[in-house]
Parts: sequence; structure tokens; C-alpha cells
Amino acid sequence: MSLAAVPDAPPEAEFLSTAARAMSSERGDAALDRLSFWELLPELDDDEAAAAVFSALRAQGRALADTPALGGLLAQPFATALGVEQGTVIAAIRRDTPRRGEVWVAVGDTGGRRLLLDAPGRGTHVLDADAAAPQPVVVAGRTTVVELEVDLDGRAPDLPDRAAAPLRDRATYLARVGASAELLGAAERVVDLAVEYAGAREQFGRPIGTFQALRHLLAWAATDCVAVEAVVRRAVALRRDPPPRFGDAAKALAGRNGMRACQRALQAFGGIGFTAEHEHHHFHGRVLLLDALLGSSAELTHELGTWVRTSGDDPAYAEAVLHAGAP
Amino acid sequence: MTVPELGEYVRGLESWLDAAPPALVAACEPEPDYERRVEVMRALMGELHAAGWSRAGWPVDLGGTGGTILHRAAMWEALARRGVQGMALFEHLEILAPVLAADGPRDLVAELLPAFLSGRELWAQGFSEPDAGSDLASLRTTAVLDGDAYVVNGTKIWTSWARYATWCLLLARTGDAASRHRGLTALVVDLRDPGVEVLPIVQANGTDELAQVHFSDVRVPAGRVVGEPGGGWAVAMHILSHERGTFAWFRHCFQYQQLLDCARHAAGRDDAALGDALLDLLAVTATGYEGVAAHAAGDVLGPRAAFTKLLLCAAEQSVHDRVLANDTDLAVGVQDADVAVRRQEYLFSRIVTVYGGSQQMQLDTIAKQILALP
Repeated sequence: MSLAAVPDAPPEAEFLSTAARAMSSERGDAALDRLSFWELLPELDDDEAAAAVFSALRAQGRALADTPALGGLLAQPFATALGVEQGTVIAAIRRDTPRRGEVWVAVGDTGGRRLLLDAPGRGTHVLDADAAAPQPVVVAGRTTVVELEVDLDGRAPDLPDRAAAPLRDRATYLARVGASAELLGAAERVVDLAVEYAGAREQFGRPIGTFQALRHLLAWAATDCVAVEAVVRRAVALRRDPPPRFGDAAKALAGRNGMRACQRALQAFGGIGFTAEHEHHHFHGRVLLLDALLGSSAELTHELGTWVRTSGDDPAYAEAVLHAGAP
Repeated sequence: MTVPELGEYVRGLESWLDAAPPALVAACEPEPDYERRVEVMRALMGELHAAGWSRAGWPVDLGGTGGTILHRAAMWEALARRGVQGMALFEHLEILAPVLAADGPRDLVAELLPAFLSGRELWAQGFSEPDAGSDLASLRTTAVLDGDAYVVNGTKIWTSWARYATWCLLLARTGDAASRHRGLTALVVDLRDPGVEVLPIVQANGTDELAQVHFSDVRVPAGRVVGEPGGGWAVAMHILSHERGTFAWFRHCFQYQQLLDCARHAAGRDDAALGDALLDLLAVTATGYEGVAAHAAGDVLGPRAAFTKLLLCAAEQSVHDRVLANDTDLAVGVQDADVAVRRQEYLFSRIVTVYGGSQQMQLDTIAKQILALP
């Protein structure tokens, strides 16, 4: 079975299978080169280019591939404004940590590229990777994560904050939708594996997938994924003019449902799913990482609630989705 | 008269709504009395029909102005955003009317659809029976061909809005008792005919829009078959794919307004849960949109409608969990109309996982037909 079957979107299905082949046969940057990822980035207003780019992120989640695609997407609007060639600069992601304060991380092998750091209030900075003293972080999920040691105080920005602010909104939207697509890929793949396992693993003389309790658990896991799939597709369709906080909502849903899907899949795998040799923890690790970056589901969900409570605004998501139309 | 493309249609509709016709204003008032709720919606639908807005999205030869379900999706979205309280029995316009339009006798539907759209003659759906709920194929109401008419005998239950309806789309057995889903036929029954008895069921939320309907030797002209004689199962599945797939779009538009209304009076401690309910609604927006867009493109919805149904029910319950958490009046009881409506709606949200195919049936459908579990 494949949750990816989208009856009304054959171009998307095609992009996805092309991306899946590239992500599973090439390592790191080579997969992105094969998909012309960097050439497609400046063309994101084009529907086919956007479908290809976000399919690459989704395929990356499924294959647990290790590329700097997410940082590339986050850097895209700034790179265009700075006149920098796409792919030569990767955006680092700023985290506000409760215990350590501001921390910058880069995801995927940055391959000697320059790093772009955009700090609200302090403008956008471009640094050599070596100058940022990257320290690898050990994390499940088969991905490279490095923490950077940087001090932006007193440094003259390459793009002043005033010029960076409007780009920041677009960059954040694109990166949140990209992270959601990758979360979807990881979640749907681990659910696929759990469904496969439930059909093969026998207890009481029959496959455990014949027991209704487990069938319903896996049906809920599939439902978690289908919701994210549809929301990501709508977020891509709305990327030119998204309604307020739509990227926040998409990312919050992808993180929340991705974690739920992992939990449900783990229940189907049983004890073997909690071993280091089993792949589950890599998918789970990828989902946890992506949920934590660019706004976690916990923070974003709370902020969305505060917003609808205090602003009196109608998000009018249904109206926006209807009028954005296909793809 | 043909319908304009979606954007232009909506701009026209919005400016018509801006003028706040009295029927619109009335339909925005919380109304606990169902008799009155039906009347205000009949009046609004009458005006929407006269002005042409509700004819959009229906075939020209059936009294519509062309276009697709996306036009209808846009009309109800706009009405919900303007504060209309709900569709009331016009829900059936998006559950059974699409199937009448696709598979019903053309001449009959051309006469009855405009009457439905304008609020003159309303419809009920007769599927469930006292001994056939989730196991619909075991239903026992019979329709026996006698000359130029089917003679119908049996009992239907949980028939929504039957007491307000003129017509019923009835699923009856035309084959032998063992024929299961192969021996069923879908008939258009006039509820005013002799032998029909509608007994309202007083529900746990105080309303009585559901009914038990008895049929004793009711004669239905043989030409009033929807689909093929013996093809009732396909008609029922088609209707249920709408009830589970596309209908979510229409219903969830009103839930956004219920959540926003609740949020405006909510406590700050509830923010995370309010956000969560908003995410549940967004999941329905996206999957529901895919359902209506697929239908507009002529695709069959199939078993994937089960996902949308599950997500709609989850959202409806999340929204009403917030409504309750932020308004204890509805639990304690206050005599205001708006509190009474919130109580009705809250209690109704507890049963949404039962009707239209129970949550367990949807999960079974996904496990078997989509995940292909053994």
C-alpha cells in the first residue's frame, strides 16, 4: 500500500517517485544535484517546480536521506535578495532553548558552503562555515546536525534587519512547509513499515494485523498521515499568498501527527521497535528533530490558540483553500 | 442563465450578502426550536434560489445554472462565515441530492430538485432499520413489484428530518431475504402517500428531528427508481461516499465559527487546546477540499472518504470539547436561546461518531480497503 497514492495529482506522484529514487540511490548532495534541486529553488512560484521541491523533502523523510535541502529552502528568499547563487549558502536555524538560550544549528552536511544566519532584530548574516566552529551533535534519524558557535553582536549584517524582515516571513513559510513535507515522509514510511510488519508477524497462530484492535490503531496512524498530506498540499498551493499563520498551523499539525504516527507504529512493532537495530527510532528521531526546529508543535499550537482567542480574527482557512484551487 | 467562474460567483454572492437580506439576518440567530430553525432556513434558501445563488453547481437540465460542487462549497462557506447557524435539513442537498442528480430519473429530478433547492419540498433518507444499522445489507423493508408500482412494507429508523420532508430516498429489498446487498433497490417515496407514518424520536439533546417511519402497503410508481432496479447498494455507497467525503467540507465551515465564537470567550489557560482544535479543523479543510475537488473533476471518492469522515468527527468533538470547557452554563442550564443551542450542539457532537457509518466501520474500511491488512 502507499499513502502517497493521490488519484487527482499525477504530476505530484511522478515527482515523488523520481525524488524517492534519487534519495535512496544517491547520498547527500548528489541526490539534490540529480533532482536539480538548486536550479528549481528560484523557480518556486512555478507550480511544477514547487511540486518537485516539496516532493524532494517528502522523499527525504521517507528515505531518511541526509541533505541540506531544508536549510537551502530557508535561505532561498535571502539568497535571491543578496544576489548569491542558489546552493552556495545554507541557512542555519535559530533555536530559543529554555536552558541554553539562543543556539544555532545547521541540518545536513553543509559541504563547505557558507552559512546564512537570519536573526530578527539583528539582520541577516553570511559567514564561512569554518568561522562558525561547527560541532556535530549526535542524534538519531540518520541526519547530520551541527551546532554553531557564533556571536552576531556587533557584527555588521549583510542584509539590514529592515530589508530582511519581509524575506523572513516568506523564508519561514517555505521552510515550515518543507519541514512538514519531510515530517510527512518520515511518518508515512514508518506507518507503511508497521502495516507490513502487522501482516507478517504472527501471534496466537495468525498475523497480528488480523486483530481488530491493531487494525484500528494502524487505520488511525494512516489517518494522521493523510491529514498532513492534504494540509501540506494545500500549503504548497497557498505559498504565494498564504492566509495568516497558515505555515504555523501546517507545521504544528505535521509535528503533532508525525509524533502520533510514530507512537502508533511503535505499538504495532512491539518490543523489537524499541531496539537500536530496528529502524523505528531513526524515523522517530527525524520526526522529533523536525518538530523541534522552526517552531515546535507545542509552541505553535499554543500560539495559534492565543491568536484566535485574543485577535477576534477569522483565519478563513476554508475560504483561502477553496480559492487557491489546484494543484 | 449560466454560472460564472468561481471567483466572480463569490464576489457577486458576497455583495448580495452585504445587503443583509432579512432572511439572512434571521438565519444567523441562535434558534433552539427546530420547527423555527427549519422555517428560517427555508426562507433563506427560497431567497438564494430566487436570486440564483443556490442554483449554481447543479446541472442546467435539472434547474441549475451549471458549474460544479465547488460553487456549492463556496456558497455554504460564505454563509457560514456570515454567521448562518447551520444547514439544518438542507444538509441533504449535499448528501443525497448529488446522487439523485447523477442516478435519478431525469424528468422526476428536474421537477424535484428545484423544489428542494428553493425550500418548498424537502428530503429525508431512509436507510437504517431497527435491525440494520452498521450492517446495512441486512435490511428487511421490502418493495414488491405489482403491476406499475412497487409495494413497500417495513420500518426505517434514525431517519433525519423526516417530519419536515416531503420525499424520502428509500433503500428497500427487492430480492429475496438472502440476497444481502445484491437484492436492494433505491426508490423515491412520497411521504404524503397513504400508508406512511412518521413518528418523531425525542432525542437526548431535546430535539426531535430524527424519526421512525413505518411503510404499510405504500405504492411507489415503478419509474421512481434511482439507479437500476437491484442496484440499490451502489446508490447507497454513492450516497455514503458523499456523506463521508464531500459533506465534511460543508459541515466543518460552521464548526470554524463555533470554535471562533467559543475562543472569544475562552480562558487563557485553554490556548493550547484551542490551537489543537483549530488544527483538527484545518485537517478537515484540506481533506474535505480534496474530496470536493475530486468530485468536481468527476473522480469517484471511494474508500478514502473514510479518512475525511474520521477527521470531521474528531474536529467536531474537539471543537465542542472547547465549547464545554469555556461555558459551564451549557452544563448547568440557563434559559437563553444561545446557551440552549450550544447545549444541543454539544450533546449532538457526542453522537457524530455513530451516524453516517460508525467510527469503527470507517476504521475497518481503511484497514481492509486501503491498508490491505490481512
